[in-house]
Amino acid sequence: MLGYIDKIKEISERVLKEGTVEMVIGFQKGTLPMMNEPCFVKCSGDVQRLVWDSNCGINLANYLTDRKEKIAVIAKGCDSRNIVTHIIENKIKRDQLFIIGVPCNGMIDKSKIASMFEKEIIEVVEDQNNIIVKGEGFEETLKKGDVLQENCAICIHRNPVIYDELVSDMVEEQRDVDRYEDVRRIEEMEPDKKYGFFDDLLSACIRCYACRDACPLCYCPTCFVDESRPQWVGKGQDPVDIRTFHFLRAYHCAGRCTDCGACERACPMEIKVRTFTKKLEKDCLEAYGWEAGMSLDERPPLDTFRPDDPEDFIK
Amino acid sequence: MKVIKIEKEKWDKGVEKLNGPLRLFGPVKDGQFHNFKELDKNQQPDLNFLNTRLSPKSTVFPQSEVMFEYSLDESREDHHIMKEIDQDYSPRAVIGIRPCDAKSFLLVKRNFDTDEYKDPYWIRAFEATTFIGLACNNPCSTCFCTSADCGPFHEEGLDLLLVDAGDYYLLKVITSKGENLLKVADWETEADADTSGETSGNIIDTLKKEAEAKITSSVVTDRLKEQISLELYQAPFWEDAAFSCINCGTCTYVCPTCWCFDIQDETHGISGVRIRNWDSCMSPLFTLHGSGHNPRGTKLHRVRQRFMHKLKYYVDKYDDGIQCVGCGRCIRLCPVNIDIRKICEIMNNYEPAACACPA
Amino acid sequence: MLFKNLMEHMGIEPDRVHFSWISSAESTKFVDVVNEVTAAVKALGPNKNFIIKAA
Repeated sequence: MLGYIDKIKEISERVLKEGTVEMVIGFQKGTLPMMNEPCFVKCSGDVQRLVWDSNCGINLANYLTDRKEKIAVIAKGCDSRNIVTHIIENKIKRDQLFIIGVPCNGMIDKSKIASMFEKEIIEVVEDQNNIIVKGEGFEETLKKGDVLQENCAICIHRNPVIYDELVSDMVEEQRDVDRYEDVRRIEEMEPDKKYGFFDDLLSACIRCYACRDACPLCYCPTCFVDESRPQWVGKGQDPVDIRTFHFLRAYHCAGRCTDCGACERACPMEIKVRTFTKKLEKDCLEAYGWEAGMSLDERPPLDTFRPDDPEDFIK
Repeated sequence: MKVIKIEKEKWDKGVEKLNGPLRLFGPVKDGQFHNFKELDKNQQPDLNFLNTRLSPKSTVFPQSEVMFEYSLDESREDHHIMKEIDQDYSPRAVIGIRPCDAKSFLLVKRNFDTDEYKDPYWIRAFEATTFIGLACNNPCSTCFCTSADCGPFHEEGLDLLLVDAGDYYLLKVITSKGENLLKVADWETEADADTSGETSGNIIDTLKKEAEAKITSSVVTDRLKEQISLELYQAPFWEDAAFSCINCGTCTYVCPTCWCFDIQDETHGISGVRIRNWDSCMSPLFTLHGSGHNPRGTKLHRVRQRFMHKLKYYVDKYDDGIQCVGCGRCIRLCPVNIDIRKICEIMNNYEPAACACPA
Repeated sequence: MLFKNLMEHMGIEPDRVHFSWISSAESTKFVDVVNEVTAAVKALGPNKNFIIKAA
C-alpha cells in the first residue's frame, strides 16, 4: 500500500495538467503520528503534498457533497461505495468525478495503538505488514493485521467498486469473516440489559457530533438535532437526548452505511458508535440481501418496494 | 515562599481528610483516558496521567447547567414563577489540574467576570474552588504551553502546586486560599525545616527546567498583534486551512478556554427548566438568525472565526497574549488533524502583498 | 422493520412497538389491533427505559 503514492501522484498530476479535473482530493501528511489531513490540490506542481499510508481512514466521499467542480478523488473500497451512494442520492454527478481507486489493506486504529503503550507515541512508521511504534525509550513492531480499525478487520470490500483508474492490482478480499459477532451478542441480551449496554456505551458522549460530521451520509442541511422549529431533541446532557441522537442518526443511515468507520475514528471519546449502524447493516443484508453502495444500477431498499419484502412485523 | 514536603502515603491520607470538608474533583480513569470527576468519599484522584481528555473547565462551567426552574402546578405556592435553582457552592477543590488548565480559568474569567457583567454561576463556582495543580514533569509532544505564556510549572491560576519529586511530593503554597487547606489535610511539614539537603526551591527549579526543556513544540505569536484584522480575515489561506474541517464541536468542547454557551428552555409537562449548555462556533446553528440568515454560513467562516477569535480578536481586545494556554487537546483530538500551531504560524507570518500568487 | 428492530436492539421491549396497516374500511381490524396493542403494553407495565425524567 505504501507503493501507491507514486502512482497516485502520477495520476493526479496528469489529470490536473490535462484539465480533466479542477482539483484532486486526497490526504496530506498530518502533524501527529497516525494522522493525515484531508486536503485538495489544484495545481499539478502541488501533488507532492499528497501522501498515502495506513492513516487515511477519513472517508473522502464526505468532501464531495454538493460540489460543483470536476474533481479527482482518491477512493478506498469504502470511499468508493460512499461515492456510489452519493451519486445515487444526487449529491454529486458521476461525470464530475475522476475516481482514483485504491485497493486497500485496511487502516490502523490509532486509539487502539495508543492504548497499548503507557507512554506517549512520538513516531509511527510502517512497512508492508508491520507498524513500528516509537516513543521515549521504547520501540516496538506490531503486526498491522493486529491493529487494524475494527471495521477494516472485518471488511469484505477492500477494492473500489467504481473507479476510473486503479493505482495497483486489486487486493485479495477477506473471506470467511464473521461481520456480526458483536451484533449477535447484543441481540441475545434481555431488553433491560440491552438498554443498560447502550447507556454505558454512550456515557462518555459530549455531543460534539464528530461522528455525524465525519459521515458522508450525514449531509442534511439541518440535522434533526439542530432543528429548532420544532425542536425534536433536548440539547443538554440528558442520556435520553444523547441516545435519541445516536439511534436516530444511525437509522437515517439505514441501508446506506458502508461501515467505513469514519464515525468511530472521529469520536474524541472513543465511543464505538458503529454498534448502532452495524445492527441496521446486518438487518438490511438479512432482510433485503442488500449491501450499500455496491452498484450504481440498484436502488436502495428503503426507496423501493418488492413484493417479497419481509412484512411479518405488520399486523 | 512556603513549600510543604509530603510523603506519598501522607498524600492519600490528606486527600481523604479534605474529602468531606470540601467537594473534591480530580482526574479519574474512565476507559482509555482520564477525566475530571467529582470524587466519591474515599476515592483518590489518579495522578498517573499526561493530561485529561476533556479539560477541567466543567468543574466550574458544566457542559449542561440548570439555571432556573418553574412550575405551573397551582397547588405550589411559587407556581408560575421562574426561580433560580439552588446550587451547591460549598467549598470545593480541584486536585491534579495541570498548570495550563489552571491558567485557562483566568482567561475564561475575562468573559464571565467583568466590570460590566458578572456571571453569578461561574463566579460563585470559581470562588468556591481551590486549585491544586500538578506540575508536568513529562509534557506531551503536543504541549506548547511555554510559547503560550504558560508552562509546565506555571503558577497563575493555582492556589497550590504539587510537584512530584520522586519519592515524595513538594507542595508549593501560592495563595492564602491554598494555605488554608494545609491544616485540614494535615500537610504541615515544611520542606526546608531540615537545612542539610538541597532546598526545595532548588529541587522545584531543577525539575521545572527539565520539564521546560522537554517541550519541543511551540507557536509563534510575535506578529499577531500588528497584523491587520481585515487583511487576515480576507486572506486566501483560509480556503486551504478550512478544507478538511468537518465542523464538529470537538475542538471547542475539549478546549479549556472556550467559553461560549447557549441557553435553552426545556419543558416537562407543567414544569420546566432553563439550562445553559456549552455551544460551539463550529456549529452552523451558532450564528443562525431567527430570520433564517446565517452570517457565518459556510465552514470557512466558522473555522476562520475560531482561529481569529483565539489568535487575533482576543489578542487585540485584551493585549495580553493569545486565548490559548497550549494544552494541545484540539490538536490531539481533531478528527481531521487541523493543527492550531500550523494555523497560528500562517496567521502570524502572513504577508498580504506576497500572497498575490494563485489562491 | 429496520426501525422496530433497532428499537428492540437498544432495549425497548418488542411488545411496545407495533405496526399495522389498516384501511378506513377495516373497522373490526382496527378494534382488534388496538385491543391487542393495549393488552400487550399493559402486560409489560409502565415503561422504565427511554424516558426523560422531569428535571
